[in-house]
Amino acid sequence: MAIVRESSAIIRDVMPAFELFQPTSIEEALSVLAQYGTDAWVLAGGIDSFDWLKDRIKRPKAVVDLGRIRELRGVRELAGGGVEIRAMTTLTDVVLHPAIRKSFKLLADAAESAASPQIRNQGTIGGNVSQDTRCWYYRSGFPCYRAGGNICYADTPYGMNREHAILGAARCVAVSPSDSAPAMVALEAKMLVRNSNGERAVNAEDYFIGPGFDITRMTVLKQGDILTAIRIPSAWANASFYFEKISDRPVWDFPIVNIAAAKVISGGKIRRIRLVVNGVAAHPWRLRQVEEAVTGQPADEQTGARAGELAIADAVPLQHNGFKLPLMRNLVKRAICATPA
Amino acid sequence: MVPVFAIQFWNSPEGAVPMSDNPGSPAKSKGLTRREVIKAAVAVGGVSASAYLFRGYIFGNQVRRAFGSAPGSMGRLITLNVNGRRRHVDVMPQETLAMTLRYKLGLTGTKLGCDRAECGSCTVLLDDVPHYSCSVLTQTVRNRKILTIEGLAGPDGTLHPVQQGIVEQQGFQCAFCMSGFIMAAIGFLKVNPNPTREELARGVSGNLCRCTDYHKILDALMRGAELSRGASHA
Amino acid sequence: MPDSKQEGTAAQVPLVTADTPADKSKLVGQNYVTPDLFAKVTGQAKYAEDFRAEGMLFAKLLLSPYPHARILEIDASQALAMPGVRAVLTMKDLPPPADYMTDLGVLIKANPLGERGLAMEPLYQGEPIAAVAAVDELTAADAVEKIRVTYEPLPFVIDPLASLRPGGPNARVEGNVWGVLGPEAPVGAKRTTPVPEVREIKWTEEDFRGYDEGKMPTGTPTGEWSYGDVEGGFKNAALVLDESFQTPNTSHECLETRTSMAYWQGGKLHLFGSTQSTSQTVPAIARWMNMKPEDVVLVSEYTGGGYGSKVTSSVHLIIPAMLSKKCHAPVMMRITREDENYIGRARPSLTGRMKAGFGPDGRLLALDMFVVADNGPYDEVHDTYISGQIVSLLYQPVAMRWRGISVLTNTPPRSPQSSPGGLQGITLMEPVLAKAARRLKIDLLAIHRINAPEGKAPLGPAVDGKRAHATGCFMKEALDQGARRFQWEERRKANSGKRNGSKIRGVGVSSSSFKSGSKGFDGLFVIQPDGKMYVQSGIGNLGTEDFSDVHRVAAEMVGMPWEKVVVTWGDTSKHLPWTCISGGSQTAHAMTRAAYAAAMDAIGKLQQIAAKDHGGRPENYEVRNERVYRQGGGPVMTLAHAAQRAIALGGVYDGHELPKDINPMTVRSAKALAGRGLMGVARDNYRQDGTVFSFVASFAEVEIDVETGTYKIVDFLAVADAGRVIHPAAIGGQILGRSMLGIGHAIGQKWVFDQHLGLPVARRFYQTKPPTILDAPARMDWAALNIPDPEGPVGAKGIGEPPVPGGCCAILNAISDALGDDIFRRAPVTLDMILTSLENGHPVISGLAADI
Repeated sequence: MAIVRESSAIIRDVMPAFELFQPTSIEEALSVLAQYGTDAWVLAGGIDSFDWLKDRIKRPKAVVDLGRIRELRGVRELAGGGVEIRAMTTLTDVVLHPAIRKSFKLLADAAESAASPQIRNQGTIGGNVSQDTRCWYYRSGFPCYRAGGNICYADTPYGMNREHAILGAARCVAVSPSDSAPAMVALEAKMLVRNSNGERAVNAEDYFIGPGFDITRMTVLKQGDILTAIRIPSAWANASFYFEKISDRPVWDFPIVNIAAAKVISGGKIRRIRLVVNGVAAHPWRLRQVEEAVTGQPADEQTGARAGELAIADAVPLQHNGFKLPLMRNLVKRAICATPA
Repeated sequence: MVPVFAIQFWNSPEGAVPMSDNPGSPAKSKGLTRREVIKAAVAVGGVSASAYLFRGYIFGNQVRRAFGSAPGSMGRLITLNVNGRRRHVDVMPQETLAMTLRYKLGLTGTKLGCDRAECGSCTVLLDDVPHYSCSVLTQTVRNRKILTIEGLAGPDGTLHPVQQGIVEQQGFQCAFCMSGFIMAAIGFLKVNPNPTREELARGVSGNLCRCTDYHKILDALMRGAELSRGASHA
Repeated sequence: MPDSKQEGTAAQVPLVTADTPADKSKLVGQNYVTPDLFAKVTGQAKYAEDFRAEGMLFAKLLLSPYPHARILEIDASQALAMPGVRAVLTMKDLPPPADYMTDLGVLIKANPLGERGLAMEPLYQGEPIAAVAAVDELTAADAVEKIRVTYEPLPFVIDPLASLRPGGPNARVEGNVWGVLGPEAPVGAKRTTPVPEVREIKWTEEDFRGYDEGKMPTGTPTGEWSYGDVEGGFKNAALVLDESFQTPNTSHECLETRTSMAYWQGGKLHLFGSTQSTSQTVPAIARWMNMKPEDVVLVSEYTGGGYGSKVTSSVHLIIPAMLSKKCHAPVMMRITREDENYIGRARPSLTGRMKAGFGPDGRLLALDMFVVADNGPYDEVHDTYISGQIVSLLYQPVAMRWRGISVLTNTPPRSPQSSPGGLQGITLMEPVLAKAARRLKIDLLAIHRINAPEGKAPLGPAVDGKRAHATGCFMKEALDQGARRFQWEERRKANSGKRNGSKIRGVGVSSSSFKSGSKGFDGLFVIQPDGKMYVQSGIGNLGTEDFSDVHRVAAEMVGMPWEKVVVTWGDTSKHLPWTCISGGSQTAHAMTRAAYAAAMDAIGKLQQIAAKDHGGRPENYEVRNERVYRQGGGPVMTLAHAAQRAIALGGVYDGHELPKDINPMTVRSAKALAGRGLMGVARDNYRQDGTVFSFVASFAEVEIDVETGTYKIVDFLAVADAGRVIHPAAIGGQILGRSMLGIGHAIGQKWVFDQHLGLPVARRFYQTKPPTILDAPARMDWAALNIPDPEGPVGAKGIGEPPVPGGCCAILNAISDALGDDIFRRAPVTLDMILTSLENGHPVISGLAADI
């Protein structure tokens, strides 16, 4: 007896109707979010959001566009050498900002590697770091763990998982697709999160979360929260930086693996280092063990090679992504022994 | 309902339509004379009011919701600055700029290739900066200066130097991607007027060409950059 | 750029490059501003979605969520009850499949199992099931969601080899292969084609032995041919290789989707579509609609890319046409990118087993080729058969056996794509050739040269004791010119395998070829009393510029300056002649012949008119410089005056009497234009000994980062044998543009399916990875030999196809030059494959599953 199913069809494109709000202050935005609760959707640059809406998978009643809130835009230099980047600052403005280029080139390079010129002109730094995963099952509307279901389609014997996680998987094997997020973790950025209870600062390292913490979210942001700014402290200003992104296409592609490193080297030895890899786990993956192991060591090939092996010691490949291990290993090696440009 | 089976070549009522009267102009052999263009524009009449999009919703319950009273909620009748002209238009909350341009303002030179911010065919300039108009809500650009492919040529049909570069080099093949490439290039040249070939390629790298005529496109755009530097385009 | 000094045999070769100076006294071979360009750069060019009609409705498609299912019920009541919804269309509303008579008088029997546009047994995820027409798109989309469909899911298969396994699933209830192989049953020989049917073929476990080691299994084929002593060839070979390789499924991904708009007026269907061909699309629509061709008006002035996916109308054009009929209103069906991914056609993947025996000098003595095509669910693709033909021509194996099978799969429908079968066949062969060169320690260029076809080279199997042959082949000349311009020897010596840190360089070359012309079509133009030449062009405007270029042949012949030529195209209500399909690179050859025929007709009439008015015999007169001159001086007649005289004379002169052999469509058009001036109208009846092929030699240098598996193409050159060059800028664009399409096949473009769910997971550009402008080689250059084809009056040949495999394989061969044998066993060669192979010391054995 054949299984007979009644089903509605796939229909993508044509955004369903919603109500659009364009508040001019954060308070106003928070009040709309409070009013609509889970029916509200926060719109920053929109590059990630419109996919969800056009796919008719997410159907908010109210869309809250943050684009008219002046206090969410701009870059401010902080006393002591840090910078504060308001969340709605475009990636292009981050890339071109003189203070960022001068002291935190790592972030400029990371932001410049994202997507395409038009997207960088519109996409925001807040949106880029907070964007949802690009797991193609999840983004196709499959009822997977992350979508509230009880299976991971990518982690089956037939699952197509070339782009998926080799570290930190817990039921879900999706990865963070952000190019700027690992730079934020490397630079010890603080993420300012505001809701009706006030504003709090969250370490970038804690801002990004894995499926073990909450399988349905990529960041600590919850309904009613708005990321207002990212503060980059002076801790790594003018350090020796290394950013590299490996992707299939040189433009408009997500990282297969990217790496962001900040180093302080003197006398040929690594004095301090922060080393973060993305595209390998649900959140930017900081290599604490490697950082500890290489501190005090010469910044050379040998240290790099050892660091690379150590970096992938705990990695577990899926059916189609074993290549990410040598790729990550080699990128860690390069990040350690690369001489500053 | 009795439909009127008149096909209208929807030209921009801007009057900036560069259909030259010069007999030597290639536009002549395309078969559209200025008279025909004017005739079409007359037949179209008040185009922006008889919108093709969301007609059902204009009369449905969406109206009440769209004019909701919550703080910051938007009205639908807005004014846009398109190609230097103020255009009044009725815009739904979820409407993208590409759809408004194409279906309400008759500016069909802006193309929809993917509608997903991937191919660049819909690129327009917002305050001189290239954007994918398929992924911009029209409601969010009320105070911006919108420039489309139709706004480039002069009233006398004089081409923009980047357009001229393409004509000289026979750039592009099917040309579906062309207006997006032109707008992306013009936006990039405003920031970097004297690019190397590689820099220009990066500048227009958010645009796809499926005839993959990239080499000839870059020849044409480099020529356009050269002509732009020579021209006194303010 | 190397200088144009030439030596030896190359001295006779009149190379055309981007830098060849212009000759203003000529039209043919010169650059000019095409008549469509101004509209294109200003955004005024109207593609299908740019047309509007008063009261226009919008259609949206309901797509199947299952890869294979039977539909038990479609309940559209809730959708139809919505305000603004006008109609729902399903398969039962469509005209039944109809037989079709070709212009050669062959009756093509309707395929009862063919694609219908809307399905009750969807055969792939995304197949359209129903269409809704509503007053706006949002209402239509919301209505689609309200349609309840009851499905009975059926077995499905994504991988063709999985379907051939014993007990493997079939894509269709009736089986997994077509019963009749199209090209093998020579259509021309029979007046009626058989009704296609589906049957089942399974291979044995024994056939599959070796699969896990990466060897493609071989079992019962559906097609087979051979010539020469294949086994003897292997016995005499100094080297025998046995290689398995897979090419990717790649969607055409035209930037303009196949959007269309339709309305009815006075019993005629007016369709605004996106199609490659203009004239030939009319009978195609008429067939789908069960209408007479004269009741169909097609408008397609500008087409945003086709590459074989829009050769004539896609079946889906009938949806807005039928909805419009149902609603009594114009209907626009805006095809989204998601829709296009499903219905927009794709090149079929071929998996190949190539057993090749080489002599010590690299000569290909014997080739045993077996190909399995991933056919998709509908009509049989011919890529299998063509792959064998092209390989047999391009490498001239002394003896060859070809076997092939096209296996049905539950994946989106296929169609030809630039160099259909050629890309796959050459991509299966080139890595074998490169490996043989390394094993035999022969230069890669030399092994291409020694196997290159020359003169009227034979191809394919013997039919009735005789093998087909090409009209002429200048493959060696292209290789030689390319080697000189690319500085092949110096570059190989300096850069081949050269390591710098983690980067290694590789240098590669590839041969390529494809059929590039047809014949027997009509030319039509009128010289009017205003002194202008009005050319009717039935050629599609898909970016090749052929719609205009070919007519420069006629204009030059009648001495008409281009400024006085008016080309009408893209609207079949404007009296267009019967024309070849604008696909398969036929046009440049076929329609320059037709243009030549029409011009000869006009010249003859002009001579007769001059002789009537001024005495003497017609042959005493010659036509040039807008005038008819009497040889040796005497009276002169302007073409404007001759046009007036033609109208006065009537009869054949102004089109009131027409040639008997022109197509009925040309007859209708010519009758409508009769009396306007002097008409040039004729069918191309010029004889031709052989089939026309173009050739390309492609060269590439790559730099590979062995730590990341990424690579860059640092230099690329393609040299084409494409006959007489008509329009250098257009041919240069075709050569490098189509090379880039091939490069896309080498570096990244492909499908990804979840075999278990039967669904495509790669649906976006960032997932299917068409090449970007930054993927283009840092340097690119082209040249064309400009040797007229030995057959035919003009000697032009098409060039849209052969650059594609050349581009792909020059890259593949450059990669293996840098990294050695057995790094990859499928294309595209992505960074994960390179890294894994280098890490393991051998290529990953992932079987030969499709779409991973």
